[in-house]
Amino acid sequence: MTYTYNKNVQTMIRAGRVIPSGVYGHLGPAEGCMIPSSAYPFFAAKAKGAEIWDPDGNRFIDYMCAYGPNIQGYCDPDVDAAAIEQIKLGNCTTLPSTVMVDFAEYLTNLVHKDWAFFCKNGGDVTSFSIMISRYYTGKKKIIFVKNYYHGVAPWTQHPDTPGTLEDDCKHGLYVKFNDIEDLKRTIEANKDDIACFIATPYMHGNFVDNELPEEGYWKQVRELCTKYGIVMIIDDIRCGFRLSMEGSDRYFGFDADLITFCKALANGYNVSALCGKEFLKGAASTVPYTGSYWMSAVPFAAGLANLKKLVANNACQHFYDMGTRLTTGLEKAAKERNIPLKASGHPAMFYLRIQDELGNFRLHQEWVAECVKRGVFITNHHNHFICMAMTPAIIDETIAICTEGMDVLVRNHPEEFKK
Amino acid sequence: MSERAKAFTNLFAAMGTLEKYVELVPEAKEVAKKANVTIRFKVKDGPDGIIVIQDGNIQVLEYDGRKANIVIACKTPEYFNKVVDGTVTPIPQLPGILKALKIMGKPESPFNVLTKGMTEVLRRTEFKNEEEKRITTILSFYTMVAGVAQVGNHDEIAQHAMKRMVDGEVSVGIRDVCYATLIKKDGKLTAVKQKSERPRAFMTFGDIDTAYGLISGQVDAMTCISKGTLETSGHMLMLDNVNKVLNRVPMYLK
Repeated sequence: MTYTYNKNVQTMIRAGRVIPSGVYGHLGPAEGCMIPSSAYPFFAAKAKGAEIWDPDGNRFIDYMCAYGPNIQGYCDPDVDAAAIEQIKLGNCTTLPSTVMVDFAEYLTNLVHKDWAFFCKNGGDVTSFSIMISRYYTGKKKIIFVKNYYHGVAPWTQHPDTPGTLEDDCKHGLYVKFNDIEDLKRTIEANKDDIACFIATPYMHGNFVDNELPEEGYWKQVRELCTKYGIVMIIDDIRCGFRLSMEGSDRYFGFDADLITFCKALANGYNVSALCGKEFLKGAASTVPYTGSYWMSAVPFAAGLANLKKLVANNACQHFYDMGTRLTTGLEKAAKERNIPLKASGHPAMFYLRIQDELGNFRLHQEWVAECVKRGVFITNHHNHFICMAMTPAIIDETIAICTEGMDVLVRNHPEEFKK
Repeated sequence: MSERAKAFTNLFAAMGTLEKYVELVPEAKEVAKKANVTIRFKVKDGPDGIIVIQDGNIQVLEYDGRKANIVIACKTPEYFNKVVDGTVTPIPQLPGILKALKIMGKPESPFNVLTKGMTEVLRRTEFKNEEEKRITTILSFYTMVAGVAQVGNHDEIAQHAMKRMVDGEVSVGIRDVCYATLIKKDGKLTAVKQKSERPRAFMTFGDIDTAYGLISGQVDAMTCISKGTLETSGHMLMLDNVNKVLNRVPMYLK
C-alpha cells in the first residue's frame, strides 16, 4: 500500500486561496524539490523525533529535518523544557534577557570567534555579513562560488529574478568551487574593489552532485583573502553543527573572518547568528541592523540547551555514522539491482542521484516518489540531513523502504537496469 | 521593454502562430489557399524573416536566402512593431508591389484577413463552445512557447535566465492535445512546434481548461500543481529558467 493525500490536497486548495503559492518558498512544491507533487504531502499534523505525520495520518521518516533545523529530533524534551522555562520568565521584552549574553558567550567560545550578533533567519545574517564587509573595507564587490545559495535577498539573485533589479546584482563576481586559479584571476581583475568572498564550507548546491573541498583549497583561499584584504565569510547555515561543533571552517582547517549560523542552532526555535573576529566587531556595532524579535529570549534559551546537548552527545560523530550507514546501505541495494545511485557530499548531509543517460533526473524522481509514498521523506535535488533521533533501527527501516522503491523502479523500467 | 525583442516576438511568435492557425481553422486554410506567396519582413537591426504561404499551409521562418514575392523593409524594430499593431501602413519594395496590393493591400486581402482572424481567436475570452476554447488555447499555447524562445534570446533581462539553461530539450505540452519543444543549444533557444524526442525537462498542462486558465492568468500554477493538473518533472533548473523567461513574455505579447 502506498500513501494517499486527500486531506493534504484539500488543505492546499484552501491555502492557495489565502496564501501566495499556498506554501511559498522552500517548503512548498513550487521550489522543485518535491517531484512529482502528487507523491508528496504538503502539510504536517505532528512531529516527533525523526518522524512527521501528515493530515491524512501518513507517517514519514523525515530526512529533510525541516531543511536543517531539526537536529536533535522534533519536540526534543530538553530543548523544549529550556524554552518553556524561559517563556515563564519572559520572551519578547523591552530589555533583552541575560540569556542572550549566556548564549553569545557559549557560542563564541564553541566556534572560536570573538563576538556573536543574533537575528532570526539565515538571510538576515548573510546580508549583515555583506554589509559589514562593505563598511569595513569601503569596497563593493562580492565573490560568490557558483551554485551558491545565501538566501533570497536581491544581492544574492540574478537580474532575471522577479523583484530584483539589474543594479542589485552588478557587484557580484562568480568563481568555480575548488578552482583556485579562477579565484586568483577574479581577484586580480577586481582587486581594488572586492569587499568579501562568501561561500559554503563545501559545495552543497541543489541539482548537482555535492563536492567536498580539495586538499589545500581552503588554505589557499584564506591566504588570498588575507593578502588582498578581502573579508572571508563562511555561510555555515546548512552545515553548521552537523560537520563540527566548532564551525565548519575549523572542520576544514581554516579560520573564517565571519561565519553565519542558523538552521541547527536551536533545534527549530527561530534564531540565527553571525559570529566574527575582533577586527570586525566595530563594523558590526556601527552598521544599523535590528528587528522586532531579534532579542527574544526563548530561542536563546533553546539554543543554549541545544548546543550543550549536542556537545554532550558527540553529535557530529552520530551524524557521520548514521549518514554513512544509510548511504552505504542504499548504494549497496542499488548496486545489487544495477541502479547507478550515487551519494555525494558529507554523510551528515548526503545528496543522492540516480545517474541517467539523458540527464533529465526522471528515474531518480520516480524512485524518490516511490520512497516518499512508502514513508521516507526525501527530496529530489536537495541535500538531506541526519538528526540525533535517527537510530540504526530507523536507518535500517529507511534502507528497506527505499529498496522496495528500487524494486518498483526496476519493475517499471527493466530495460534500464539490465545486468 | 525592448522594441527589438518585441519585433522578434511579433514576427516569430505572434505571426509564427499562423502556421497552426491555418491547420486548426478550416476557414483560415481556405483564405490561405488564395495567397500562394512568400513575404519577407526585413527589419534593420531586428528580425529578418519570411512567411511562406503555399497551398493553404503557412511557414514562418528566418530568412534563408530564398526569393520573396513581397519584401517589406522596416527602418527600425519600432517601425515594424507599428506595422504589426496596424498603426503604420507597410510599404513594400517596388518589384512586388502589385502582389503586395493583392495579398495585403486592403482589409479584405488574404494576409490581413488571416492576421486579423488569428488575433481575434487569440484574444477572445468568451466561447460559444468547447471547440472555440480548444482552438484559442492551442494557439495561445504555441504563441507562448515561441515567445519564450524569442524573449529569451532577445530581451536583456531574460537572456540571463536563457544563458543559465543547460543544453537540451524542454518538452511543453497540453496532455493528449498538443506539444512543443524548447531547445537550448549553442547559446540560444529555439521553439519547435513538435513533441520532444529527448527531453530533459517536462511541463505538461493536464487539460485544455488548465492550459487556458494558466495562460490567461485566471488560475495560479500552485493550485494546479497541488491538484495535479500541472505536472513538472525532469531537470527542474531548466524549467525554473524557462519560467523566468516566461515571466517576461506577456509584456511582449499584449
